[in-house]
Amino acid sequence: MSLAWSFYISTVLVYLGVDVMACWGLNLQYGYTGILNFSFIIYQSAGAYVAAVLTLGPNTAGSFQQYIGGANLPFPLPIIAGGIAGGLLSAVAGVIALRRLRSDYQAMVFLVISLIATAVVTSDVGLFNGPAGLSLIPQPLSTALNLSLVGYRWFYVGLTAVICLIIYAFLRLITSAPLGRSLRAVRDHEQGAAALGKNVTGLRMTSFVIGGVIAGISGAVLVEFISAWSPGGWLYQETFVLFTALIVGGTANNAGAALGALLVPVAFLEGSRFLPQFGPPGLIDALQWVAVGLMALIFVWFWPRGLLPERRRIIKLPGLPQAGTGQP
Amino acid sequence: MTSVQGQRTTPAAQAALLRVDDLAKSYGGVHAVAGVSFDVLRGRITGLIGPNGAGKSTALGMVAGAIKPSRGSVLLNGTNVAGWPSHKIARRGLARTFQQSSDFAGMTVTENLLTARYGQRGDTLRGALLGRRYWRAEQESLTARAADVIARFDMARMANEFAGNLSGGQRRLLEIMRALMTEPEILLLDEPMAGVNPALGERIEDYLLQLKQDGLTMLMVEHEMAVVERLCDPIIVMAQGEILAEGTMEQIRSDQRVLDAYLN
Repeated sequence: MSLAWSFYISTVLVYLGVDVMACWGLNLQYGYTGILNFSFIIYQSAGAYVAAVLTLGPNTAGSFQQYIGGANLPFPLPIIAGGIAGGLLSAVAGVIALRRLRSDYQAMVFLVISLIATAVVTSDVGLFNGPAGLSLIPQPLSTALNLSLVGYRWFYVGLTAVICLIIYAFLRLITSAPLGRSLRAVRDHEQGAAALGKNVTGLRMTSFVIGGVIAGISGAVLVEFISAWSPGGWLYQETFVLFTALIVGGTANNAGAALGALLVPVAFLEGSRFLPQFGPPGLIDALQWVAVGLMALIFVWFWPRGLLPERRRIIKLPGLPQAGTGQP
Repeated sequence: MTSVQGQRTTPAAQAALLRVDDLAKSYGGVHAVAGVSFDVLRGRITGLIGPNGAGKSTALGMVAGAIKPSRGSVLLNGTNVAGWPSHKIARRGLARTFQQSSDFAGMTVTENLLTARYGQRGDTLRGALLGRRYWRAEQESLTARAADVIARFDMARMANEFAGNLSGGQRRLLEIMRALMTEPEILLLDEPMAGVNPALGERIEDYLLQLKQDGLTMLMVEHEMAVVERLCDPIIVMAQGEILAEGTMEQIRSDQRVLDAYLN
């Protein structure tokens, strides 16, 4: 494999890992709990910004970029802090949207929160350097490991895979426990769940904050790899790419979410980069958004349960024959 | 037997598991329920009937915590639960079914039943993160109970079927089964026979009678008068947000106000 291909493939694999994490976080919120979180990208972004400023070191006067809360924390603290930032921000947004509103209104509030967050970070240059964003973020352990450029990238692929495995194990503990059933009950019938003694708001908040933590970690992992982050990378449309990935892959199924991450943000959006240029500049980028939207519509219409649908959980009942094979 | 308004005698009051007093709900100037009072006696099926728009489901919703009352009290085992959220009232032993089926469509029948029990060890974040060993034994015992309920309601064939694939009548049964998994003290039924074919309706009726014989207290809103007559005693009649009459079906049939309300 040539050096260029090795560089490219390792980059795509890190992107895949980050998108898989993000889809799992969104899957917990939407697939398992039914929360239409149209602001998902801002929790990923919060994690990215916090990890960036905690790696960059204190901001010095006259620097080409301005930011708050600079520190020089060792790995893996910036990534952990990124997760905490995503969780805290989602807790605030959850308190606003999840306590009293119906799910369709919740979706509207989340969309508005996403737009406000982008506007604030873009306008207030003192926060995270405004529209130019943060750059030259040091990569974790790069000095200590002393690897070649490509060698370090493959190390980061391994690191991303390990974080993915930890998140997967964590999610599996939740979704295979009675807590996972309660989340799905809230998704399927909120009032029915409440009538069984389930604290619907508490369950939603739990799922929403955990999803926010995972989003924050995914953003931190990404920013430590690409060394830069700006508002152009986390516009509200990015959330719809992740929703499309879930719709295509299959909701309430972590394998389906991972497949969706592979097919939509990675294979489809990366693959279209290899198309020959045609039309005016920016046309292909615009067509990508159109194609993502069409993909979501086509799947919702023809395969609403996605390529890997939520699986039927067979439970053996003592003294009774097993039966039932259909799909809802 | 209890009287309609404010004259509940001591023996009846002592036997009341649920006491509703001056319960009202207004939407702007519209009085959906205009201060109703009634008792639900232990071990009986109390029927709540009335023409469409009488306020029956609103009253039931207020008792169950789904609708916040404008005024009044709901004493459940002596505790005033009026205005409490549904989940807190459910934890006090009140289970309910809905007018529109409330099954968890993306879960199997067995999963629907296993979800029902409140306070499971693995139902908190901490419990879930402690792993299967922490909650497995309790799940096995719950699964055994679910198997009993499924067998009792003759639903073994559908145990691992998605609830979303069941017929309307089977969904009604599932709601009742799910409520029973909570081992309630009182069960509120909102039109359990609505949309159910006659054969399954008879089965549901039989099951409800069995539950009554087992001592379960029920409050049932229903339009099928023959079913109400066979199952319920006493029967409370509501119209335009108020209670018109209370008694046996025979007493109610002879009440002119009830006849007028239905004929109008």
